[in-house]
Formats: sequence, structure tokens, C-alpha cells
Amino acid sequence: MYLDLHSHSVSSDDSRATVEQYLKWIAVLRKRGHAVDGIVLTEHRKFDFDMDYSALAAQYDVRVFKGSELDTRYGHFLVYGVSRALTDEIDFSDVRMDARELLIAARHHGAIAVPAHPGRFGIGLTEYIQQGEVFKDVHIVERLNGGSRAGENERAWDLCDSHGYLGIGGSDAHLTSHIAACLTYFPQTIDNEQQLVEALLSERFRPVWLEEARNEAAPA
Amino acid sequence: MVMELEYNRSLYGIEHEAGPFEISREQIKGFSTGLGETGRIYVDEVAAQDEGYRDVVAPPTFCTVLVNKVKLPDINLQFGRTSMHAGQRVQYRAPIVAGDSLTASSHLKDVYAKTGRSGTMVFVVWETTFRNQDGTVVADVQESFARRE
Amino acid sequence: MVYFEDVDLGDEIGPLETEATDDGVVSFCTVWQSQMPNRFTDREIAEQSRLPGPIVPGIMSMGIMARLLTDWAGPAAVRDLDLVFRQPVPHHKPLRVSATVTDTRQEDGENLVECDILMTGAEGERYVGGKAIVALPSKS
Repeated sequence: MYLDLHSHSVSSDDSRATVEQYLKWIAVLRKRGHAVDGIVLTEHRKFDFDMDYSALAAQYDVRVFKGSELDTRYGHFLVYGVSRALTDEIDFSDVRMDARELLIAARHHGAIAVPAHPGRFGIGLTEYIQQGEVFKDVHIVERLNGGSRAGENERAWDLCDSHGYLGIGGSDAHLTSHIAACLTYFPQTIDNEQQLVEALLSERFRPVWLEEARNEAAPA
Repeated sequence: MVMELEYNRSLYGIEHEAGPFEISREQIKGFSTGLGETGRIYVDEVAAQDEGYRDVVAPPTFCTVLVNKVKLPDINLQFGRTSMHAGQRVQYRAPIVAGDSLTASSHLKDVYAKTGRSGTMVFVVWETTFRNQDGTVVADVQESFARRE
Repeated sequence: MVYFEDVDLGDEIGPLETEATDDGVVSFCTVWQSQMPNRFTDREIAEQSRLPGPIVPGIMSMGIMARLLTDWAGPAAVRDLDLVFRQPVPHHKPLRVSATVTDTRQEDGENLVECDILMTGAEGERYVGGKAIVALPSKS
């Protein structure tokens, strides 16, 4: 199935799209023949424990999972499988946290942290690795990011090649019509955040552009 | 190492009044032609009157010029030097017409830190409501400014 | 004349193709009574603010983007324009403003069309992005 692992609703300061508008737009994409099975809301610097999107998800037949995108002193990190135990240990609003502590804490609490847009100039993981920083707990990075400028996805690609990282894809949508621009293909069905963490740990997935995600044929 | 933002938090909850701003035909026409607007109600008072307006009507984002004239208090933010305009929202609620006299009421909405391609930034968000001489709300404007290190 | 019934999700509005000239920015700053020279009109001042050169004022970009909507739906149609200035907008570069309809609904007796709206550059730069709401007349 195809999941957009990186998106922002109006719950993020710089997004202008509501969750329902994303889901309506996914209906438009499906009519155009694209396969989009779900999205993960990765709101900036927070986790919305109190938000319940299950009724909307059922109404539009789209999986809606919750995650976070955290600012750290080594760039932004997507976090999947967030729990109270993790938010008790890590201050999600701290823009200068050490990403290495986040990586360890996430795994300790059954979650997983993944560098977002690692090729992004000025703030991607590539910059910090070039400065000599080492991130031994990174195994997966966001290889396709829909908000990338020219050259940034290519830098992420090179990073995957040089470090043997696996790649996911996410739109980084802040506007309705940008949802699902990039996706991650998983061979199995994923019905909740915990299954998403397990699927990422299983290492069987790959990033795709929306154009590659078609209804008729699952990729080999 | 949590980043503590230092600024004047006592500004929250206080409304800052500004104006009145007397809106002239020349201002509206200059704004309209400067943007290449061709709507006749923006530039031709006769056309505007034919449409039932008292005089030329301001294009939807006209208030952005006025909000720049509102002298907002210094929040005394202890961070960075350069401030950039990061975002703006205009909700246009009723026509603004030449001859109107508008007042502005502004309050501090939010201050928060984030990181991006150009490093750490602190965002400062203000909200301003414009009313005309009849007390009608004509527009709500939200502005955010990013202060860089 | 565009009617509410004619609009569907996914419809494209525009594009409006334009460019901001030095003179255009100066005259806009004059209307706005912005004190010049400033980072919108002067290279040296812009560079002191770590900008690559003089830029187009955010509120001018916003006004240009609003013009796409007033051209399409008429001068009294725009209800809400909510923008994020993502990259400095340069002078004398092709600017493309376009919008995509993302929602249609009736609210408080008005026929509302919501759209994503973008100002982009020739090289795919996303200078300004956001959302807009316009009210359209109905055929009935």
C-alpha cells in the first residue's frame, strides 16, 4: 500500500490545509487513477494526542495516522509511533534537542525517528555529516520529499547510496493539492501507527513519486 | 538545552489602537494601478457608483498597506537582528471605500521558535482588526515576522 | 463570468504571468509611503539584510496574487487570502501565479470556492504559497 509519510495540517503553524481537505483531495487523486491509501500527519514540534481523525478516515476511506516532525540541532526528524512515554522523556518543542538522544529515546519507547529531507540545504542531515557528525542510529532517511528545491532530493539519494540508508517518501504538504506528491510503498497492509513502525523496522518499503503510484498494478 | 525565548510577555491580551486612517481615492487608485488591477470599481468612481458603491472600492489586500503604518509596540525579543515578513493573511469582511475613516486594533498572537534552511528563527505573530467609521469590521489581518540569528 | 456550478475540485485558475520591475516596486513603495531607499529598492541595503538583491515587498506579492483571483472571479469576490512568504521574490524575474480549486461549499448563504494559490519562478522556485477563498454567484 501507498502511504504519504510526511504531511502538515492546520495544526502546524505554516500549513493551510485541513485534514478533511487532504482527504477530499485524495478522492480527486484516486479518480485520476492514483493509489493513495493513507497519510501520516507529522505536525511540527508537537504530537496531537487529543486529535481523533477516525471518523474522517472512515468517511473518506483513507488511513490517517499521527506522527510528528521535530526540529533538532541536526535538522528535522520525522517520528512515528509517538507515545506518552516518549513525550514525557523528550520535549517536542525544543528546537535545539540532540537528534541522537531522540533516535535512542524513540526506539526505547517503541517509536522510530527518521531524518526528514536530509538533502535540504542548510538544515539537512547531509550538512551535519559533512561537518563530521556521526549518527550511528540512523538507518532510514526521507529520500523523497515533496517540498525539496532543485538538487535536494538528489543529495538525499546520494546520502542513501554512500551510507547504505533505506529511503521513505513523503509530500511534506502544507497545501491541500500537494498531499501525496511523494509516497512510501509497503508490500503489506498497515492499519495503525504501531504497524507502521514495524513495517519500517522490517526494511521492506521504497519511496515513490505520485506518478508511480497507480491503482492497476502494484510494483514488483 | 531548551531554548528559552526572552520577550515582553505582558503584551499578550492588550489591544493597541491606531488610526484613524483616512482613505482617499488617490490611495486606492494608486494601489490598484500599482498592482495592475483592472477592475473598474477600483479605479473609476462612476463605475463604482453604478455598482452601488459610494466611491472607488479598495482591492482585497489594500489593508496590508495600512497595517504597515500601525506602529506596533516593541516586544523586546532577545533574539537575532534581521526581521523578515514571513506570512500574511487578509480576511476581507466588508468593502473599504474612498472617504472611509478606518481604525485599527492590534494584539500580539504568538511568539515561537523554529528551524529552517537559514537556521534558527523566531516567529512573531500579530493580529489587527480594521473597522470603518460606522464600527463595521472591514478586514482582519494577521502578520508574521521571522527574526533570524 | 464564472458561476459556482461551473467550478470543480482540481480546476486550475490562471496562470497569471508577470514580473516586478525596479520602477514597479518603487511606485508601489510610494503608494505605501514606505521610506526609501530600503531593501526593496536598494541593492546595498538588501545585501546588508543577507538578501541576494532588492526584493519584492511581501504585500506587493500578495497584491499580485490577489489579482489572479479578481481577474477570475470579479473585484468583489475575494474573502480570504492566507499566504506564507517562503523565499525572497526577486525583481526582473518571471513570476507565475496559479491556483488550484481544492474545495467548494455553501456557507452563510455564500457559494465559496477554496483554492491553493502559488507564486512560482521559472526554475520551480516556490516563492509564496497559501490558500484563498472566493465567493461566486450561482446560476439559480
